[in-house]
Amino acid sequence: MPAHKNDRLQGTLDLLVLRTLDTCGPMHGYGITLHVEQASDNALRLEEGSLYPALHRMTQAGWLRAEWGASENNRRARYYSITAAGRRQLAQEEKNWAQLTEAVQKVLRPA
Amino acid sequence: MAWIDRLRNLIGNDDLERGLDEEMRFHIEARMEDNIKAGMSPAAARDNAVRRFGNRTLLKERTRDADLFPSVDAFGRDLRYALRTLLTTPGFAVVAILVLALGIGANTAVFSIVSSVLLRPLPFPEPGRLFFISYQPRANPFFEQGSMSDEDYLEFERRQREFESVATYGNNPVTLTGAGEPLRAAGVAVTTDFFHVLRSNAAIGRTFVPAEGEPGRNAVVIVSDKLWRDRFGADPRAVGRVVRLDGIPCTIIGVMPPKFIFPAGAELWTPLEIHLGHNSWARPVIGRLRQGVSAQGAEFAFKALASSLPIYPNAHRSEYEASVRGLHDRVVAPVRKPLLVFTGAVAFVLLIACANVANLLLIRAASRRHEISVRAALGASRWRLIRQLLTESLVTFVLGGAGGVLLAKAVTPALLALAPAAAIPHGVEIGLDFRVIVFAFGLSLLTGFLFGLAPAFQATRRDLRLHLAEGGRTSTGGRQKLRSVLVVAEVALALVLLTGAGLLLRSLRQILSVNPGFQPRNVLTATVDLPDSAYSTAAKMRAFHQSVLAKLSSVAGVQAVGAVNWIPLGQADIRGTFEMDGGYRRPPGFMAVKPVVSPGYFRAMGIRLLSGRAFSDHDNGSAPGVVIVSKSVARTLWRGDDPLGRRISMEDKPGPGDWLTVVGVVDDIRQEQLTDQPSPAIYQPLLQVGQPFFLSHMTFVLRTASRPRAVATSIRSIIRQVDADEPVQIASMDDAILGVTAASRFLAQVLGAFSIMAVLLSAIGLYGVVASSVAERTREIGIRMAMGASNRSVVRMVIRRTLPLAGAGVLIGAAGALAAGRVLRTFLFEVAPTDPLTFGSAALVLLGVAVAAALIPAWRAYTLDPVVVLRYQ
Repeated sequence: MPAHKNDRLQGTLDLLVLRTLDTCGPMHGYGITLHVEQASDNALRLEEGSLYPALHRMTQAGWLRAEWGASENNRRARYYSITAAGRRQLAQEEKNWAQLTEAVQKVLRPA
Repeated sequence: MAWIDRLRNLIGNDDLERGLDEEMRFHIEARMEDNIKAGMSPAAARDNAVRRFGNRTLLKERTRDADLFPSVDAFGRDLRYALRTLLTTPGFAVVAILVLALGIGANTAVFSIVSSVLLRPLPFPEPGRLFFISYQPRANPFFEQGSMSDEDYLEFERRQREFESVATYGNNPVTLTGAGEPLRAAGVAVTTDFFHVLRSNAAIGRTFVPAEGEPGRNAVVIVSDKLWRDRFGADPRAVGRVVRLDGIPCTIIGVMPPKFIFPAGAELWTPLEIHLGHNSWARPVIGRLRQGVSAQGAEFAFKALASSLPIYPNAHRSEYEASVRGLHDRVVAPVRKPLLVFTGAVAFVLLIACANVANLLLIRAASRRHEISVRAALGASRWRLIRQLLTESLVTFVLGGAGGVLLAKAVTPALLALAPAAAIPHGVEIGLDFRVIVFAFGLSLLTGFLFGLAPAFQATRRDLRLHLAEGGRTSTGGRQKLRSVLVVAEVALALVLLTGAGLLLRSLRQILSVNPGFQPRNVLTATVDLPDSAYSTAAKMRAFHQSVLAKLSSVAGVQAVGAVNWIPLGQADIRGTFEMDGGYRRPPGFMAVKPVVSPGYFRAMGIRLLSGRAFSDHDNGSAPGVVIVSKSVARTLWRGDDPLGRRISMEDKPGPGDWLTVVGVVDDIRQEQLTDQPSPAIYQPLLQVGQPFFLSHMTFVLRTASRPRAVATSIRSIIRQVDADEPVQIASMDDAILGVTAASRFLAQVLGAFSIMAVLLSAIGLYGVVASSVAERTREIGIRMAMGASNRSVVRMVIRRTLPLAGAGVLIGAAGALAAGRVLRTFLFEVAPTDPLTFGSAALVLLGVAVAAALIPAWRAYTLDPVVVLRYQ
């Protein structure tokens, strides 16, 4: 689904979520938030709630799978994991990101 | 809205909602706990967690959207863009939506009627096994209700094996007293198996049990739901009450459910026991087919049986055939064809509307060439552009469909009000139900897709994308051709409708111009039925009539008063044979209507006396018997000899005192329908007729100086003075004419309305094409004018562009109209389906409309200032 190809910001959120889930395995939404914060040394701080429309959209698109499970302190939480389609999407998004940053680099520091 | 709820239930949105809540609550609480661990106070920890989460309601909304509409973003963007584009061109939007609302609304209105009348099954269990068993006239089998004679019915009932049960029924209008004002009620006499055949039970009480029709047990009646509400205040204790039917006390044993109105218009049902007597009745017969027997099998068996029935083989074998038809087919037969004609006509209107909007879409796409080219140049794929344009047309059509539903809601009751009473059978409820709404929106989407597709493809053609290179100026090519084709089609369809409506209108005028043989203007009629119970003898009935006649003649404003037992253009008449004296013989098969009239009748009705004299008060029981014959009787029976003084008799074997002398000849009149041949009639004076059968139903006829309705109240009170228990039905002869022409009028009016819509729509279409071609050719026109072309020649050029389009449409339409005329043939009276006058006028009207539609663009061209044009283009 190429629906979000042009939306860089959204694409970035998708990229972060997909990468997190691919690296760390199944996580709930709060866990993803924490991981992104920690991994970026608190540089990337999302409006936390905006994660959920993205998670549900990606689930509908078939990139993620959602299921209920028990959290660390034994409460019910919804866990997300990446699917095969999600991995393909991740590869695509990473490529896009690389191209974009490279292009921006070129503009900022012309060779 | 209900359908949103339905959708919600369908996908279990409540679970979704709860899950979402839980998921978000978990997040906030987890953040809060971490905050507390990090040393915040509980209150601060909560505030921080909530703030960091963001606007929870909004986010929940967006998450839900993501769940409900997976591709909501792509489609939503198209949708938003489509709406925005529509808003930027409000003129286009308003015209297109109105045009579509008209087309879809008319279709929805007609479909709502078709859906409830033709498509909905009869409201009985297993309606597919109900059949109508009768002798059908071979000619015109759908317009006459078939029937079976009593002798044959009894034999058939005894010998048939194909039907579980059979029943017969006949109209039995009765006077209901003892429940409010006396009421002439639409009663139906039914054999006791009637309700069993239909598998219908009473809502309260019971239906008839076997043998309840026998004398001594038959003083029972079942009432309809409507009668129960109107006359008994919907009181369940009405069952068990005793009312009087034609003066005879009868016990109400049941109230039928609201949906049970069979046959059409029935208000009460009385038990019928068939007794064979001197006169044979013929009635419709219904039956419920046994399991495992096919309709064809049943018909085959009935045909075989029919040839050995007592009456059928002897009479009119060549004219009638034994047939078994589905009951639903029979019930809707009279309206099926008109409804199908409407469906076809209204589909034409929709096609024209769609062609119109497709044209508008094309014109708009042309004006958006620049935008489309830019988007294509920026990399939008053709598919993407087509999807965008299609979304726009779908939005337009669906908005038009919504308008159409509103329009249909307003128009359907008006349409039904125009319909003749008999047009809507078995008391169906007609309204905008779920099915109709689905139909309307389905139709909008389908047409939006079909008619949006061509413009979308056209607008995104590759060569058009080269448009940028042309600096915004283009030649006009294929688009013009497609538009022309659409307009030609519109004109052709409009011509078919206009011709059809014209034919029906001409036919209606022919019917109305028929001379009925009497003068209907300013004639009021008052009909009274005298029950056997209170009026056991002819003498008592005559006393009533004489008393009423005497009082009526003194009413102010009344010029003439008369009475007749069965009024022309009324519900029924009595026809029969007679014997002739003096060596003359009645031609075989010749029957005459036998009205019984008072002396003033001919003057009151305005029937011309051609020779001899009218009846007088001296033609009473003690005077010699006399008759007056109508012109065609005189001509047929005595073949040019003077009829005055000749004698006939109404008895089969006349004795010496049974001969009646002809004293006058009057004009022929149309007895049942204006479209019938004039009926031969033999009139007898009221005071000389002794059988109650000929006297119990009597209509008083009053000719007034003006406004017959004005005396209605005084007539009612006069009749009540003589007998307060008899209900009076008052109508004018104009009403009667309206009644017998209702069906033709309805057809002509509805088709007329559709054709006016069609002509207006195609005028809009023509205008659009010509106007846009003038707009596109402004530069060319400016150059021509600068080169010395006169304004006149420019106008001629514009008109010349219009007329071939209209002309082609008219030619193609005429061919279509010839085909359509064949469908209408059965509805036409003394008008050929190829009537040249109608065809010619319809063609002229459309050509005129075409020129009118071209005048505004022509005027614009005429007033062009070449200097301005050349500078700015």
